Amino acid sequence: MRPALLWLVACTLAAAVRAYEPEVNYMLQCMGCHTPDGSGEPGRVPSIRDTILPFARVAAGRRYLVQVPGAAQSTLSDAELAAVLNWMIVELGHGTPQAFAPFTAAEIAEYRRTPLIDVRSERERLLALTH
Amino acid sequence: MGCQHLRTVWASAVAALAAAATTGAAPLPADPLSQVESLPLPPAPHWVWVNDFAFSHMANGKAMLVDGDSGRFLGELDTGFGAVRIVLSTDGALIYSPETYFSRGTRGTRTDVVTIYDAARLAPVGEIEIPPKRSSNMPMIANAVLTDDGRFLLIYNFNPAQSISVVDTRARTFIGEIDTPGCALAFPTGARAFFSLCADGALLKVRLDDSGRGVAHERTAPLFEVQTNPVTEKAVRRGDTWYFVSYDGTIYSVIIGRDGADLTAGPHWSLTSDSERAQQWRPGGLQQLAVHAGLNRLYAIMHRGGPETHKDPGREVWVYDLDRHARVQKIPMQHDSGSILVSRDAKPLLFSIFIESNILDVYDAASGRHLRTVPDIGTTPTIMVGP
Amino acid sequence: MNRLDKLAEASVRSVARRTSRRSLLASLGALLVGGAAVPLLPIARGAEPPAKGAARNGGADDKAAAKAAALQDPQSCEYWRHCAIDGYLCGCCGGSQHSCPPGTEMSAVTWVGTCHNPVDGLDYVVSYNDCCGKSTCGRCLCNRNERDTPIYIPFQSNDYNWCSGSSKGNVAYHCSTARIVGQAR
Repeated sequence: MRPALLWLVACTLAAAVRAYEPEVNYMLQCMGCHTPDGSGEPGRVPSIRDTILPFARVAAGRRYLVQVPGAAQSTLSDAELAAVLNWMIVELGHGTPQAFAPFTAAEIAEYRRTPLIDVRSERERLLALTH
Repeated sequence: MGCQHLRTVWASAVAALAAAATTGAAPLPADPLSQVESLPLPPAPHWVWVNDFAFSHMANGKAMLVDGDSGRFLGELDTGFGAVRIVLSTDGALIYSPETYFSRGTRGTRTDVVTIYDAARLAPVGEIEIPPKRSSNMPMIANAVLTDDGRFLLIYNFNPAQSISVVDTRARTFIGEIDTPGCALAFPTGARAFFSLCADGALLKVRLDDSGRGVAHERTAPLFEVQTNPVTEKAVRRGDTWYFVSYDGTIYSVIIGRDGADLTAGPHWSLTSDSERAQQWRPGGLQQLAVHAGLNRLYAIMHRGGPETHKDPGREVWVYDLDRHARVQKIPMQHDSGSILVSRDAKPLLFSIFIESNILDVYDAASGRHLRTVPDIGTTPTIMVGP
Repeated sequence: MNRLDKLAEASVRSVARRTSRRSLLASLGALLVGGAAVPLLPIARGAEPPAKGAARNGGADDKAAAKAAALQDPQSCEYWRHCAIDGYLCGCCGGSQHSCPPGTEMSAVTWVGTCHNPVDGLDYVVSYNDCCGKSTCGRCLCNRNERDTPIYIPFQSNDYNWCSGSSKGNVAYHCSTARIVGQAR
């Protein structure tokens, strides 16, 4: 289908371009809504500071972190998205590198094909599971 | 005026009065007090509503009604803070307007409502309170739409979570919100179906039950390429096809299947030839496309500019045959054009406005002939709707 | 919030950079408009823009100098940080590029872009936090749409009134800042 072909071509061209550090990708792709320290906006954007590490330590939570539309639909490559999530867990979620298994591009690729539609109830379910 | 001239005028007046007294003509009677106009219904096909979000004083949004045939200003509605658009009921008797108010003008408690106006008297007859999260953005038609049977009003919310508020216009109640995370706006596809546009180029299809609750959600695969050449939000619909246009002027069509539930990607075609694209011709504007079903035509505001100029106005409207996907006409615009609308009747008019101007231009949509320019239409007019 | 900019001088623009997926030309760090590369002019930090009304003989050097000065002038639409801004400049409204005018509130949710600073040659992530809670300021309107996305891709769209994300509900849009968040490395 032509749109898919266009997309592949665009990805190929883009691969030749310099990538940003994960912190900068956070600024460009996530910070606008999640705010610089991840605390969000009360009542509007939930804080990720206390949830991102516990979520990353359970299978369903790892899937959620990738499938939430802001992550799944972003223009980051699988490898870039993995790097951003790993950076967020450490810098915003106070996760030590030993406390969680870092995301890999392969894992991202697997989850990201099915972005979540019912984000709200899945997040509530995970909160109950991890807290 | 010099004294000599005044004396001459005074002398003439005295003479005229004397003459009237002599012939027995009565002086003009007093006019009645408190006479208020009202409009005939249904709305005439050549009427046009111009929405204005009044950027320099956003608490004072408006929608203004103009008769395209006479150029006469017929009346207006005051539509609150950050006004996006009014929505005309299917039978033309009512107007629904999603509105935002603060208890102290631009501060205080926020209340969002759908005001229901009588379309003849242009006065409110009802109000439905909705969650105070109606998206405040550069106005788009897809911010507020009716389902195909005219019963449910769908309003896009952004705070920054994304959802659609559903209002039952028959019962005049707020039904509920449908979460559409990662997806924006509402494009109706049936009596109980619509889709939203998602950030990866997919469509989120939503079905409603008969009470207006969302009962099924399904994402398509990405239909559009979003990284270098996304489609704009400013799609138009003819029958079972939604037409989206990308920054570089490629038309992507979305075809509605049975019951509005199926969506398939239709053919792509370009508004420009290779050489025109090399000269950087592209569509631009705030309401950059229009269609006429009867004539089978698509209209696009065109200008020359780089990729970042997709919101720029143009001085030409290019017209396409929707069966042959070929351009059949170029209509020169008298002034910068940023938004266009074509009336739906058999002898359509083409209306044009631009947000940095306050005139409304009217053209014969078939011949392209400029008919009239109507002055003083708002302060930052945005998008138009018509019966 | 919208495209009301009459100041669009084609020859002086910083390329707004958003993600790594931008054009190859942009990644070369050149200032590009319409295919012509604008040379980086030697200009001192804090150089004053040319005085209004000063007699100019319209020479090309004068124009170039004026544009170079505008690149460094926070109250100019051409200021290097303003590469993806949309709205009124808070610096003209009682605030500054990183602070809000008195009595308004800064919205934490916002759109961002990346802009090139011609003085130090670095790219910066710039966050355009709106100041909210009063009617639009009405001074120094500036809109640039480089790499701007449609509103269904919100985080790089300047078409939202980003005051609507502020938790205190002060949705009335007043002006926009241009805060440096970090270097775009």
